Amino acid sequence: MKLRLLLLLPLTLASARAAGAQDYTESFDTIYNSLTVERTGTLVELRARSRAGVFRESAVDLADPLTMQVPYTKTLYSALFFQPKPQKVLMVGLGGAGFHRLFTVAFPETTLQTVELDPKVVELTKERLYFTPTVKTPVATQDGRIYIKRTAEKWDWIILDAYRGGYVPPHLKTKEFYQECAAKLTDNGVLLTNLHATTALFYTDLKTLSEVFPQIVLFRNAQNPGNIIACAVKYRTPAITDPAKWAAPATLNGPLQGRVDMAKILTELMPWPTEEITRFNAKVITDDFGSPELLDAVQIGNTKEAERK
Amino acid sequence: MPGVIVAAFYLIVVVLGILSMGFQLLGSRLLGPTFGSSIIVWAWLISTFLTAFSLGSLLGGWISSLAADRRRAFQIASALAAIAGLAFTAWFGRGLVEAISLQYESITTGLFLSCIGLFLVPVTMLSSFGPQCVQFLAARGIKPGAASGVIYGISTVGNIAGVMLTAFVLLPNLRVSTLLYVWLGVAVVALGGLLTLLHRAETATRPGNAAPTPASSHDSP
Repeated sequence: MKLRLLLLLPLTLASARAAGAQDYTESFDTIYNSLTVERTGTLVELRARSRAGVFRESAVDLADPLTMQVPYTKTLYSALFFQPKPQKVLMVGLGGAGFHRLFTVAFPETTLQTVELDPKVVELTKERLYFTPTVKTPVATQDGRIYIKRTAEKWDWIILDAYRGGYVPPHLKTKEFYQECAAKLTDNGVLLTNLHATTALFYTDLKTLSEVFPQIVLFRNAQNPGNIIACAVKYRTPAITDPAKWAAPATLNGPLQGRVDMAKILTELMPWPTEEITRFNAKVITDDFGSPELLDAVQIGNTKEAERK
Repeated sequence: MPGVIVAAFYLIVVVLGILSMGFQLLGSRLLGPTFGSSIIVWAWLISTFLTAFSLGSLLGGWISSLAADRRRAFQIASALAAIAGLAFTAWFGRGLVEAISLQYESITTGLFLSCIGLFLVPVTMLSSFGPQCVQFLAARGIKPGAASGVIYGISTVGNIAGVMLTAFVLLPNLRVSTLLYVWLGVAVVALGGLLTLLHRAETATRPGNAAPTPASSHDSP
């Protein structure tokens, strides 16, 4: 508990330092993104502009950094159902480190390694959203696939949340990439990936994932229905698709500081869309075949576009 | 010059334009799995192709100035080198990129070697035919400036077609590995056709074979 309080101290200091600042909106054109940082009171939001509109990448309330402002990031804790004691976590895509604040307090002994391609995102996350990487939360500025290919480590969770606005780099959507991820998971590790449910890419994503991972469970956050979190494991047994066999949510809530309710996440469980995958004639994307960028531009009307923001 | 010959000639110029720029998008798909799709990758890819266009233009200009027999020999050598380069990329491209990435940790070194190894030779050789196409028209009586404008205008239309066709039609429906062989096959046909046309023109403009055209003085003797 003392350690957790110590970990909270820099966050509190950062909050105090930021409290007197004026509201502002700043825009930045980086080599990969068009970003906006908007501060209203103690709430700081990092947004990315793209052809499809403005996407909220991350948001942090500096007065209460542990409360996750982007609803779907809470759903990332669904991994606890499958690997409740992560020692090493790899996250591809930093955003504004909205996920990191609670995680570092909930799991102070766990290493949360982040890989972020855009150095400006790293800079803004440090300077505007007051995230300070530590030995336990290092950030590498590199392409996620190159990092995964080269890392010698095995990870209990690998979280894929790399977007440029609404667009996912195509080399992070292929069967071979998922195979590389699977090879870097521990035996009982879990891959989490944030999928767009609003475009034709969604069913292709699921089809491709299922080529590599024998068991996949999907969660849909009610407040961000355009984002589906897929939890995938590389083992066939024991079965993970029966929630009756999962740990009771109450037993997982302990470290989460009351900010995430695992019972609520359990209600976000959604069925595997077998019929839709067939109806959309989803194909497996490989390094050799497929154009994820074009599929991501085709709306399928699962949810309204605005719900992705 | 018969209309069908003219049409075939312009078609080949368009096809060479398609091959050059479409190859760049195929290249991005070859590099992507290993090096990503960041701006670093695109900077090296575009720079390599522009270097190849530049070297190809210089080489093509030099070949154009050679005596007929040597020019013919270098035209054939350039075509064979282009085809060999495309064949190498089709057969060994992905393996070479993977091997280079394992050998060199630096992404810059890896990209430099991959781009040079896979794209520089075939694109340089394809580009070397641009000045020779200009000379082909110039030798048919079109003023050099106008010939140059027509060739580079039409070739650029081919470039645009190559990018759009590859991005929106070919890549979504065919494997990259298949497309690399398609590129190889089309290059064999297009360069074979172009060599034939250039040879026919060469023969026709030799003294004693046909009446010299007003611009034949631009041809080497």
